[in-house]
Amino acid sequence: MTAVIQATLNGAMMGAMYGLTALGLTLIFGVMKVVNFAHGSLLMVGMFSAYWLIRLTGIHPYLALVIVPPVLFVFGYYLQDVVIKPVFKAEGQVREPLTVIIVTTGVWYVLDNLALMLFGAEYRTVRTAISNKSFALGEFIISIPKFSGFVVAVATAVGLALFMRKTKTGKALRATSLDREAANLMGINQYRIYNIAFGLGTAIAGIAGCVLIPFYYVYPSVGVVFDIRAFIIVVLGGLGSIPGALLGGLVIGLIESVFSQFMASTWTEAIIYAIFLIILFVKPSGFFGHKQDW
Amino acid sequence: MSRKQLDRTLLIAAALVAFGLPLVVTSPTYLQILILLFFYAYLTTAWNLVGGFAGVLPLGHSVFVGIGAYTSSILTLQYGVSPWIGMLVGGAIAAVIGVIIGLPTFRMRGAYFCLCTIAFAEGIRVMVENIDTLGPLKINGPRGLLVPLLKDPTFWDYQFMSKLPYYYIILVLLILVLAFTWFVSRSKIGYYLAAGGEEPEAAAALGINVANYKLFAMALSCFLTALAGTFYAQLMLYFYPKGLMGLDLSFEIAFIALIGGRGTIAGPVIGALLLRPLNEFTRIYLSDMLPGLHLVIFGLILILVMIYLPKGLTAPLAALYDRLARKITDQGAAK
Repeated sequence: MTAVIQATLNGAMMGAMYGLTALGLTLIFGVMKVVNFAHGSLLMVGMFSAYWLIRLTGIHPYLALVIVPPVLFVFGYYLQDVVIKPVFKAEGQVREPLTVIIVTTGVWYVLDNLALMLFGAEYRTVRTAISNKSFALGEFIISIPKFSGFVVAVATAVGLALFMRKTKTGKALRATSLDREAANLMGINQYRIYNIAFGLGTAIAGIAGCVLIPFYYVYPSVGVVFDIRAFIIVVLGGLGSIPGALLGGLVIGLIESVFSQFMASTWTEAIIYAIFLIILFVKPSGFFGHKQDW
Repeated sequence: MSRKQLDRTLLIAAALVAFGLPLVVTSPTYLQILILLFFYAYLTTAWNLVGGFAGVLPLGHSVFVGIGAYTSSILTLQYGVSPWIGMLVGGAIAAVIGVIIGLPTFRMRGAYFCLCTIAFAEGIRVMVENIDTLGPLKINGPRGLLVPLLKDPTFWDYQFMSKLPYYYIILVLLILVLAFTWFVSRSKIGYYLAAGGEEPEAAAALGINVANYKLFAMALSCFLTALAGTFYAQLMLYFYPKGLMGLDLSFEIAFIALIGGRGTIAGPVIGALLLRPLNEFTRIYLSDMLPGLHLVIFGLILILVMIYLPKGLTAPLAALYDRLARKITDQGAAK
């Protein structure tokens, strides 16, 4: 029993990481109706940025949290503006542009392989002051970097939700996600909103990169691990839903961690896919999705 | 010379070149590259029936290649059934699975459909990787299957001592699937599919049962894709789940279609003609210099084509051909 509870706790904390990754994906989908296949690669960029920042300057790992996400915001903002927008314009007002998905796949190939060219294929890790620290909760052991990651994930989700509700930009983002044409007519510049949404999604991938790096390996194709899970999570939670992403992440993290107590980890992967398909058929809109989205 | 005659002459010339190519290309290495080129063109043309004409983006077609390869190989290895028959059985199974996937998913919007096909394909791949035996069937998990090399293979064994028969088999398959696509695109089904892909609501309002036509296209596409799986198994004599059923192959099929031109008949062939050699040569010459460079180039080409030629390379090439053809046929008329 102790082992199961420990696995549950670990699963929840890893799940929060998946949820954090899915948060950026769901934001971009919610606004642009595009599944960003490059999202895992953007997470990888975030992880490498944090890795090099910490290694070269020796700053405290969580100080990277104030440096990496803004840089990634700018990166994402211009990536959408230069690469994705032209294709989007060409597809015009198609509700769910499909060619754009392929462009993001192209971005994925370029980023992953640029990282491979620059840094090689080896697994890298930063030993920081907090990497091996943990605290005891009763008889269970909780690793401090994982726990901080959990806290940051929840804080990011709450922060994003507040941003979407309270600020003018947030409201413009929501308006665009609800009805592109109407938002345009209200004087919202659709493509600038897309830049912001993509920038924010990338910044969140940067946040995830910063909190992952003290306890997770980074290598050029690390994004793939998170990508597939993030896809499943956003469908589970409802494409475009912020609480859905976090809850979906927790569910997937728990399933993975608890089932791996009883069976080979490759089978847990199969179970995750099976659950995904069952949800799609039973309730395609997920926990919190809008019915019109599927 | 009329335009129709010109088209027909050029088509026949292209076919003659394709059939005569092995007279010039005798090295097995280059013949193998040509075989794989036609193999990809064939797969993409089969994908195009759904991904091009029906206006959805399935990203898990490699699973049907796997179904074809596994079905015919298991039947041959364990029951001594000729791969020619196993190929049809595999095709039928793939068509049924395609319909099972299509039934619930074709109601979904683009992104959901995309993700769903990926999840299906990956789920099946992971399962195949984890299954050693399924009842009486030996699947071998991640190790894959080895088709034994026969000493004196006959035609019935679908195994040949030289590359030449493989070349002609895949060439004939490609021509058949192209002719079939041409026929479908000019039939009522083709128009219904296109209408359903572009304006599903409008098509439904006209009383077209879009979902049924999409299912039909899916079943056909899966059937044809599985045939290529058997071909691959007999050509390579070895395959394993990660290599054959992984997302890499599924994505490459979609890339070839998109770069060539989705929903056009020539698109998959043009895409394969341009991308396959590029892939082969950049991989051979550049990956020694810097690992990953060839994939960076591939990704960049994909992005640039999508930005500047969102309809793929076929559209501008067709326009060019149109201009040339008009010149030639006008001159012909003036004489």
